Amino acid sequence: MHGTELKGWGFLSPTLVVLGFVGIFPFVYVLYLSLFYYNIFSLRGIVYVGINNFRKLMNDPKFMSALSKGLLFVVVTCGVEITLGLAIALLLSKKFVGRGVLRTIMTLPLAMAPVAIGSMWIVITRPAVGPVSYWLGKLGISYDISESALQAFFTTVIMDVWHWTPFVILAFLAGLTSLPREPMEAARVDGAGPWQTFRHVIFPLMRPILVTIVFIRIMDTFRIYDEVWALTSGGPGTATKYVSIHLVRLVLARQEYGYGASMSVFLLYLTIVMCWVLMNLITRVKKEVYAE
Amino acid sequence: MQNRRAKLILIYIAFIGMAVAVLFPLYWTLLVSTTTKIALFEKPIPYITGFVAENYSRPFLKDLYGGYLLNSLIIASGNAALVLALAIPAAYALCRFKIRGREHIFFWLITNRMAPPASFIIPLYMIFSGSVFRGIRLMDTHLGMILVYCIFNLPFAIWLLKGMIDAIPVELDEAAVVDGCSHLGILWKIIIPVAKPSIAVTAVLIWLFSWNEMLFASVLTGTRANTITCGVLKFVTVVGIDWGEMAAVSIVCLIPAAILVGVAQKHIVAGLSFGAVKE
Amino acid sequence: MGRKIVVLFVAVAVLCMAIPAYATTDEWWKKAGAPYKGITLKGIGQSTPPSEVVRDVIAPEFEKLTGIKIDFEVQPWGVQYEKVIRDMDTGAGIYDFAYIEQDAIYAFLQKDWLVDMTKIWQEHPELTDPDLDLADFTKFIEYYKDPATGHIYGLPFEAFLKMYVYRTDLFEDPEIMRAFKSEYGWDLRPAIDWEEYEQIAKFFTEWGKKKGIELYGHTAQAKTGYQALPYEMVESIWPPWGIYNWGINLNNWRTSVKNGGNLNGDLAKEAFRWYIDMLQYAPPGVKTYTWDEEAASLAAGIVAQGFTYCEFLGGLLANPEKSKIAGKFAVTMPPSSPQSMNEAVRGLGYLGYYDGASYSILHAAKNPLPAALFIQFIVRKDFAVEYARRASRVVRKSTFASPMLKELDQQQGGYFTAFQKYEFLFAGAAPLPMHLVIIDIYMDWISKAVAGEVSPDDALDSLAEEIDSTMIEMGY
Repeated sequence: MHGTELKGWGFLSPTLVVLGFVGIFPFVYVLYLSLFYYNIFSLRGIVYVGINNFRKLMNDPKFMSALSKGLLFVVVTCGVEITLGLAIALLLSKKFVGRGVLRTIMTLPLAMAPVAIGSMWIVITRPAVGPVSYWLGKLGISYDISESALQAFFTTVIMDVWHWTPFVILAFLAGLTSLPREPMEAARVDGAGPWQTFRHVIFPLMRPILVTIVFIRIMDTFRIYDEVWALTSGGPGTATKYVSIHLVRLVLARQEYGYGASMSVFLLYLTIVMCWVLMNLITRVKKEVYAE
Repeated sequence: MQNRRAKLILIYIAFIGMAVAVLFPLYWTLLVSTTTKIALFEKPIPYITGFVAENYSRPFLKDLYGGYLLNSLIIASGNAALVLALAIPAAYALCRFKIRGREHIFFWLITNRMAPPASFIIPLYMIFSGSVFRGIRLMDTHLGMILVYCIFNLPFAIWLLKGMIDAIPVELDEAAVVDGCSHLGILWKIIIPVAKPSIAVTAVLIWLFSWNEMLFASVLTGTRANTITCGVLKFVTVVGIDWGEMAAVSIVCLIPAAILVGVAQKHIVAGLSFGAVKE
Repeated sequence: MGRKIVVLFVAVAVLCMAIPAYATTDEWWKKAGAPYKGITLKGIGQSTPPSEVVRDVIAPEFEKLTGIKIDFEVQPWGVQYEKVIRDMDTGAGIYDFAYIEQDAIYAFLQKDWLVDMTKIWQEHPELTDPDLDLADFTKFIEYYKDPATGHIYGLPFEAFLKMYVYRTDLFEDPEIMRAFKSEYGWDLRPAIDWEEYEQIAKFFTEWGKKKGIELYGHTAQAKTGYQALPYEMVESIWPPWGIYNWGINLNNWRTSVKNGGNLNGDLAKEAFRWYIDMLQYAPPGVKTYTWDEEAASLAAGIVAQGFTYCEFLGGLLANPEKSKIAGKFAVTMPPSSPQSMNEAVRGLGYLGYYDGASYSILHAAKNPLPAALFIQFIVRKDFAVEYARRASRVVRKSTFASPMLKELDQQQGGYFTAFQKYEFLFAGAAPLPMHLVIIDIYMDWISKAVAGEVSPDDALDSLAEEIDSTMIEMGY
């Protein structure tokens, strides 16, 4: 820490200017819009309604359903990604022939555009004629994501797991390979088995990166749109209409700008709360681990 | 010895399993890009039978998708350049300067990155089309998209870089100050060279985000700045869905990104720690 | 000598009259466009073959003739109209002209978003194509007229019907005909009413199973969560059952029976239950089908009968390179209930959907006058046959007279003959200015019922309730 505050602001200001223009201003505008009833096709025009939009939001069963589906998606997907990612990262942390090749392969899903991923998965999961449906059919399992809400939900989970678990694995690998050797050596000398080593040595040291990755994945799955939209358009009925999709359709298709703005404000508020809780957790964990 | 062998076998099983799981959808997309539209109503054939080159040639040579690729390239690269130019000084500032409310600013930056994109669509559309500030015509321009992607990329880059810069010992800076370096000098001579791999990783990740983004691109662009992801979207909706062509466009969209990521992947592993790991 | 001159004079005169004054000359376009040379017009169309032809063929031709540049954007269906709406609502004036689909025209007229073209022609005869010939347009142009003044707000660019397609090779196959007759007791032919349609559907699906071939008796555009599904209900199912205008009472804008509509009445519910029930006879993936796959499933040869927007005939179904049924299908009027047929013939109802679009000038356009010129150039007579060939679109009566069309008619299952014969029974979308908002609500509930989340009856009850409250909220 050696700079004067003024110079610091100097370095920071271009960023603030740009973000002020594309970030703050739209946010203020959304806040403003949320106080009005504004639907392009309404005969009533733009009407000031104060906080009625928010009241309506809290009583809106469709929104609540979209929100709960979105949160369920977050919990299930992140749960799978983190556990699977950690397990595979542990396995792959030993050096073996072909590790570089595998790492390269695993960066591929990361490189693919979400909308392309969704479109790709439609073809694979096409009822009866997609490869997955066809071969599951041969095994006697009827697989049709346009019929079964449960199957559609799990297909979106699997799609996201396919997309991001490689990223999680790579991140954990980064963490694992930079762990200090001594604690693990000490554990081995003490005769600890692999599970005990993991539980008492590796896992505690990995907590900072674990929490960071959990944070990123939670926030990203909460906002998901492109892939799921391309795959199911909201699922059979509304089974996979997660909250971001619900909002986008409300604004773009139904032209509900006022109500949509209030929904945006609410989601931003939720985002801020989730960020605050999780970031505090990260800081706390970091402090704990590095204090040792 | 037995233990080690068993573990190795397990590792290779996981290896193959992972490779298959990751590659299968990609392989299938490649397959679909070689077939005709109505072939998709028949039983799936797991190997390449014919090759319908039109699936590739029509969008890129006869239609406008070649132009879309170029637009994506311009926007993604332009954005990466702009973001780095802004984020490096900003991250430096947040690490090394006693700025009041540092944590709050950082937190606010992160929330920008994490906010649902849908919340920004309408206000941005209104600003860009000139209905809010007369005289601003950013609609359907490369510059407009480059600015919009800053909402997510700038905070992300600052976050990544802050993690890197925090790991650089302050002593290096102080030694340079003793030698008479200005702050810009420190930035240029010390920080950037040391953090080069992290900067490269950051650049790749934000380039990737811009290249793959679809929602804003489809709302805020028209003819001049349409990106390749808008191109894929054109296939997903409505008339004339040619799955073969769509798969072809998806593959072509993937190639530059895959190359970039593949080249940088060694460093990505190191760079993904977000400052959570002390080097 | 004098006589020779007279003969020469008469010969020349006859010759002059014999030259068809058909095409407006290039000279005329050049002169008309001269004052606007160098201007760039911005337009937006749909990403379908005819609009792509406008972008790739017509616009460059126009540019060459007049020096007016055309910056023409094509977008898929949903994206395209969303952009136009935003442009109009913010008054940004990004586009000069746009593709306006017939179902959206009422919203646009009500909000005064389109430019009165009749006024332009009255005030600027030098910009009016002498060969425009408004009388030559089919009845489709009526949809683009302001009912109060009769002024025109867009020139029809494409129009087609959604009709009933069936496989002539299957329907005329002796073995199939025998099996059908023995099972149902009547000779196999295209269905006239809904019961016949259902029997034929059931027969073919079972035939496919029996013979171990991929064959089904029905197809649909039942992708839940996508607008194709509600459109199929309001365009092709409810009207020929007798429910018109989406079940909305146009006098008070209400749908539920207790408020004067008939959306959740017994007839509508029966029709909806029938539709969902019929999905069992369609290919297994039918709930992922949009209008595109509905047509493609026909083209892939796995469906014996079904409905399709006839825009798919030229480019897809009749195209031997892309379709397995080229030359093996025919097109005719959809089945209907006797009551709705009665009402349609008397002009009180309609049996099917007359789809299409115009190109219109947007009110915030920076260059309305050259845009008017270009739009006339797009719809001129001599190019109309090309649209018919590529995508079965016809908006002018003169197109039917062209010899090429007779040939196309044979290739496309007799579509153009059927078109002329049955056009009067079809109608465009109901006059609903808030169309785009409520179709989304219809989609929600109809999707839920098709997905099995709610029963069809409950879905319609909830739908009617929600529509009514939305109407009130919007001030109707």
